[in-house]
Amino acid sequence: MILSNTETIPGKTITRFFGVVSGSTVRAKHIGRDIMAGLKNIVGGELKGYTELLQEARAEAMARMVQEAESLGANAVVNVRFSTSSVTQGAAELFAYGTAVEVR
Amino acid sequence: MGDPIAIGAFLAFLLGTYVVGSWIEHRHYRTIRQREQRWRRLPVVTFRQVPAGWRVEDSGLVTGNVVISVDYFKRVLAGLRALVGGPVKSYELLLDRARREALLRLKQEAMQGGFHAVINVRLETSRLANARGGEGVAGVEVLAFGTGLKLSQPPA
Amino acid sequence: MSFDPSLPRDGVNVSRTHPLREAALLIAIVAAAGALCVVVIATAVDWLVPKLPPGLEARLFASAWPAAVGRDADDAEEATRAAAAQQVLQRLARHWSDNPYALRLGVMREDQPNAFALPGGSVVLTSGLLERVESENELAFVLGHELGHFHHRDHLRGLGRGLAFALVMAGLGAGGAAADVAALGGQLAQRGFDRDQERAADRFALELLAAEYGHVAGVTQFFGRLPAPDGAVEEALTGYLATHPLHEQRVEALQALAEQRGWPTTGALRPVAE
Repeated sequence: MILSNTETIPGKTITRFFGVVSGSTVRAKHIGRDIMAGLKNIVGGELKGYTELLQEARAEAMARMVQEAESLGANAVVNVRFSTSSVTQGAAELFAYGTAVEVR
Repeated sequence: MGDPIAIGAFLAFLLGTYVVGSWIEHRHYRTIRQREQRWRRLPVVTFRQVPAGWRVEDSGLVTGNVVISVDYFKRVLAGLRALVGGPVKSYELLLDRARREALLRLKQEAMQGGFHAVINVRLETSRLANARGGEGVAGVEVLAFGTGLKLSQPPA
Repeated sequence: MSFDPSLPRDGVNVSRTHPLREAALLIAIVAAAGALCVVVIATAVDWLVPKLPPGLEARLFASAWPAAVGRDADDAEEATRAAAAQQVLQRLARHWSDNPYALRLGVMREDQPNAFALPGGSVVLTSGLLERVESENELAFVLGHELGHFHHRDHLRGLGRGLAFALVMAGLGAGGAAADVAALGGQLAQRGFDRDQERAADRFALELLAAEYGHVAGVTQFFGRLPAPDGAVEEALTGYLATHPLHEQRVEALQALAEQRGWPTTGALRPVAE
């Protein structure tokens, strides 16, 4: 599966296109991490716990998007976009979407 | 909430909201699937440019939005999840419903406007804070927007 | 470039765990964490409490005399009852050789029969309790029970645990139902501690009673006259949830103790001073 945030895949042509495919996941860190991040927030710097959280969540969201594309018989997703939203306190939502296509 | 009567009442309320919430959710999913099936011939894509070979006669902005909330049971579940950590499964359903519904409304608007395809679609999610300003959510809003295209020859 | 109108597989973005199963699991985890919290706090408080000298405690809590107490002294009958109870308290305290507290007694207007041991050595009885007491021996048991709390310094333990748990909950910033679940787990754990304390206080009271009167009569009858703790429904539902052990269990435990120590369970009851 080729993923790209450009219009086309360089060196290949799109032969068939499907609709929008998307993947999303909502995740929370346990309260201990939240407290540690709260303390770290006072001095600033990287909040490792949250970096990890978002990384995992983004990977999961992408995997789900790929799963949708595969179910259509596509071999690439172009024009991929990410968005992050906070649906509830202490949890982050990662959303990835793009257009499933068949390239040759 | 110390005594068993209060706990029992709380659990009964929780179970009640679960049953009603699940029923509403189930019904919503049924109409989502029906409409997705019915309107699947209208392409909705994230391409920024008009695909080669399409002859565009007219274009215009189309949008679709929806605000949905989860039932109390799922909100409690999410609150507990926020303490324990891990995937907040009860909100996945909410967001899935909201996105699909927003895309369907975008398609509906496109069809009503006489468009044959929608390109450069984007989805925006925002959280509507609780009226009490505290924990939980009143709901999430998903806005889908894109450019509708009128083509001299609709894509096959 | 052709268009394929197929729909992607449904349900990719949704986890397949049953919500009720997840709810059960999460409630169990959070309640267990709350209970663990209480156990840790209680252990810390139990370690700390004996280190606080009673003299310091008396000074710290010198002003901890509830405003609602003793203001109804215009009721002459109640004033006599309170004075009589005060005398019984002092007589009982003589059998507690190393009592470090300057004991005080107050009466609170409240129909529910109840008694409290407050930090600093204050015993508060409700007017409802004084009305229900039919002999001095019964009253002595109640006062002895509160003295038992002072002896084991349960009043401080309860205070410390409550305070620490409230602080932990506030620190977690947990709100709403999630906090309630954690608090519920905490309460269940707390009740185990509370009931151990009540049993120990009962034993202490019986000892004082035997020392004062030479017998432990009156206790069983008194429990028979009290309403069930926190309503009969609770008693019927579960014995564990009640803070105080159920009446029958308490009476049984007390009778067993009396038998073991050879204290007579019958004897002349002294009337309450009028």
